[in-house]
Amino acid sequence: MPTTAPVEAPRSGPAPEAAIDAEVLELGRRLARRRPSVRNLSRVANDRMMALVARDPQLRAALFRLVDVAPACADADELAAHLDAFLSDVEHHSPPVALAARASTARGARHATGRIGFAAVRQMAGRFIVGETPASAAPALRRLWERGSAISVDLLGEATVTHDEGRAYADRCDETLVTLAAAAQQWPARPLLERDSAGVLPRVNLSVKVTALTPLIRAEAPERGRADAADHLRRLLRRARDVGAHLHIDMESMDSRDLILELVLELLSEPEFKAGPSAGIVLQAYLRDSEETLDGILDWAGAADRAVPLAIRLVKGAYWDHETIEALQNGWVPPVYTEKVESDRCYERITRRLIDVHPLVRPAIASHNLRSVAHAVVYARRAGLATHDLELQVLRGLGDDLQDALAAEGLRGRTYCPVGDMVAGMAYLVRRLLENTSNDSFLASRTGGAALDPLLIRP
Amino acid sequence: MTTTFRNEPLLELRRAPERERLLAALSAVDATLPLAVPVIVAGSRRDEPSFASVDPGAPERVVANATSATAGDVDDAVRAAQRAARTWGATPASERAAILARAAGELRRRRHELAALAVRECAKPWAEADADVCEAIDFVEYYARQAVLLDAGPQLLQLPGERNTLHYRPRGVVAVIAPWNFPVAIATGMTVAALATGNGVCLKPAEQSPACALAIVDALLVAGVPAEAIALLPGEGDVGAALVAHPGVHTIAFTGSGEVGLEIMRRAADPAPGQRHLKRVVAEMGGKNCLVVDGDADVDDVVPALIASAFGFAGQKCSAASRALVHERIIDHVLERLAGALDTLLVGPADRFGVDVPPLIERSSVERVERIVGAARSDGATVHRVERMPAGDGYFAAPTLVAGARQDAAVVQQEIFGPVLSVEAVRDVDEACERIDAQAHALTCGLFSRNPRTIAEVARRTPVGNLYVNRGTTGAMVGRQPFGGNRLSGNGTKAGGPDYLMHFVEPVVVTENTVRHGLVV
Ligand SMILES: Cc1cc2nc3c(=O)[nH]c(=O)nc-3n(C[C@H](O)[C@H](O)[C@H](O)COP(=O)(O)OP(=O)(O)OC[C@H]3O[C@@H](n4cnc5c(N)ncnc54)[C@H](O)[C@@H]3O)c2cc1C
Repeated sequence: MPTTAPVEAPRSGPAPEAAIDAEVLELGRRLARRRPSVRNLSRVANDRMMALVARDPQLRAALFRLVDVAPACADADELAAHLDAFLSDVEHHSPPVALAARASTARGARHATGRIGFAAVRQMAGRFIVGETPASAAPALRRLWERGSAISVDLLGEATVTHDEGRAYADRCDETLVTLAAAAQQWPARPLLERDSAGVLPRVNLSVKVTALTPLIRAEAPERGRADAADHLRRLLRRARDVGAHLHIDMESMDSRDLILELVLELLSEPEFKAGPSAGIVLQAYLRDSEETLDGILDWAGAADRAVPLAIRLVKGAYWDHETIEALQNGWVPPVYTEKVESDRCYERITRRLIDVHPLVRPAIASHNLRSVAHAVVYARRAGLATHDLELQVLRGLGDDLQDALAAEGLRGRTYCPVGDMVAGMAYLVRRLLENTSNDSFLASRTGGAALDPLLIRP
Repeated sequence: MTTTFRNEPLLELRRAPERERLLAALSAVDATLPLAVPVIVAGSRRDEPSFASVDPGAPERVVANATSATAGDVDDAVRAAQRAARTWGATPASERAAILARAAGELRRRRHELAALAVRECAKPWAEADADVCEAIDFVEYYARQAVLLDAGPQLLQLPGERNTLHYRPRGVVAVIAPWNFPVAIATGMTVAALATGNGVCLKPAEQSPACALAIVDALLVAGVPAEAIALLPGEGDVGAALVAHPGVHTIAFTGSGEVGLEIMRRAADPAPGQRHLKRVVAEMGGKNCLVVDGDADVDDVVPALIASAFGFAGQKCSAASRALVHERIIDHVLERLAGALDTLLVGPADRFGVDVPPLIERSSVERVERIVGAARSDGATVHRVERMPAGDGYFAAPTLVAGARQDAAVVQQEIFGPVLSVEAVRDVDEACERIDAQAHALTCGLFSRNPRTIAEVARRTPVGNLYVNRGTTGAMVGRQPFGGNRLSGNGTKAGGPDYLMHFVEPVVVTENTVRHGLVV
């Protein structure tokens, strides 16, 4: 199965950019034209509300604070008290806000308001989270599979600050691999999702976070966390190999970037993992040094003697605010680009490189930006890749419509599905909501009603 | 000095090459040990070693052999500073600022070496040692700018026929009595505040950290501060006492224990024969700092913040958290996670990257910690400690959580200056505020709450000098978090803040009648 095709030469010469852009525009329009399906109608209302919220920074802040604190509130009264305090910071009250503000102060209405608040937060969480446990999520995962989307499961949890918590997370990951491996055997065949030109694509796919495996992440001493996480990660790699699952290691903030990358590549080089499992890492295009990082990964991949090519999920990066604030507070040059368009450009450069080196690595384009996605699809097609050799990934709750549209185009997609309870999921939920309402985001621009074509031009 | 102030960037220690540079600097420093720290008065150096500073992690390693200043040295130094104060004080503020900017450059150039020195002499872990050097640079840059602003003087009301001017004059001679826990930053800060405003300075560093002080004085001299304006007087308490009692000293800038601080104030209040001025004391003393955790707090954030605030640098910061006042609804959960997080702490020598808790400064500190923890345990409190401790004869104390101690126990009442955190349940934030209000100390306080009303209420009623909301209680930055306590923690001066320099100057108002024979001339 290991391929020995030349690394450098793309199958056809680079296409003239103008021709690509025309095709990208066309594909982007087609993908956007698909209406949200019936199952997504409540989400349309939800999106409208988000668009409303995104326009008012104070209201947006109040909503985030409410979602953020909800799981820590003892009861509905306490939640209402918070709501009341948050809304008192909002200066101009639109009619619904004024109503909510009155209700959260009024003695009689307070309890009811709190309960409505809880219900609203739970409903929002339900949009992004497929289930509380892998077993309870299994039916939803199957439905996604049947609709034409592969899945990757992500276990939500509290931060890991103790060894017990690291172990417990590893145990949950381990059980999830076993549970899902059993469940996935019953799924119907979906040839497009199960094989690319390098071979079998596992049905079960788990995304893990290294910072959840160990409490010993210290930015200035990566060796401590690396040693501790290695034991847990080895165990998960063995399990994934034994049940035939794919293990994907998520990327987090710069404080752990080098540690995660070195750890994963080191473990995958160990003889016991030569034959498997299928595994992957994440590259963040918003990092100024992401292209150098890719150089290192490709060197590794060229030298690695593994049966299954490394999967690389290309993202822009989810920690932009964190990286920027941390750098400003410490007087550092931010490790991320400061202009959104620079991230978009870098994303396209790396997309092209990943496709150009095919089949050295398996590229997975994870984005909700129609331009970024369509660019990858068109470039891959022109480079001569088979359809199944390009994976497109979306997040559950944000990319469902896009996933449907991709499936309708006959493209190979995967939905990233968080699993966990509301307390554990809150940090994730807040991040997704932020993403969905931030000024620079493609999705927020769309739900806010921005015209499509300008969003599809070359960054 | 026209650029606006910004904090000196910390080293980006998450990048391997930065760490390697520091380790190389440490090897270079190690090769020169032991250093010799002389008495320096008016530029002349007397080197007759009488005491030593050692590496707290390996006390057999002598870091510096220092010369103790004599009563004669103290007298000479004060007289030199008096002479210097006349010329240095008459030098335009902008010229003094330019010289100090060069000193900042000198510290910057030597930053890796200075951090290594703080690692060796005071067992500061790398990140904290680097932050210490950065803070020193910040103090120089900040006070130099502030002194220029102050020199311009405030505007007064002017009516026809009179001209009113207010300007600030240096007080004269400043005695700086510095601690070992921020061996570079605090000694530099107090010294430079005095120099920037035109005073002469006699610096008495802590006996545990003379080598760090020598580096500061050398940087100032190289930069062009007149030799008579800065004296280095190493030694123990007697040197400080001689300075405090000296009739030629005008201001005493002190950071250290409450006991010594109060003694200084008593002594300074009493004019010596022939003394024609009132001494002023700037005192930064201890704290007994609480971190309040409300029921709606995010425990994921609380645990790391508590661990860092209580056990960073082994709790040897005056800002360190030593009591956690946790809402009874979540205390079991918080305690369980805290105990688990405590078990992840690596105790070891400060020079090893990844060590979370370094040794204490000296053996008596370890004994103090053991005494207080032992008393809490025999009183029936629950004690949880890190078990894996390094071998050797370094001054290590195990990081300790104490739960359920009595309110009158030493662990609840006394400043410990070691890696001990008392965890106490409270009914609500109100009860936490009452406990804080009952304390004599009022330096820092932390609050974890997600209700803006709670935050506003605690901010309104807290007696402390520095309240930190939804973060740890340590790590004040120059210009961003002016730092200093109230009550028995200090006389309310704020290091690194806009009004700190006022303690080093005297206001003089000149009013001139500009009317002559009914004419405004
Ligand atoms: C399946 C899947 C898996 C993911 N896994 C990870 C992961 O492991 N690690 C991770 O970090 N992220 C991950 N992400 C999140 C991803 O990084 C993005 O945050 C998210 O997808 C938004 O990017 P976009 O291309 O969809 O949208 P767009 O709206 O096109 O881009 C938004 C992104 O642009 C970047 N950006 C925003 N403002 C600026 C600015 N001023 N300057 C420079 N750049 C800016 C940010 O990265 C921001 O997230 C994943 C996303 C998906 C879909």
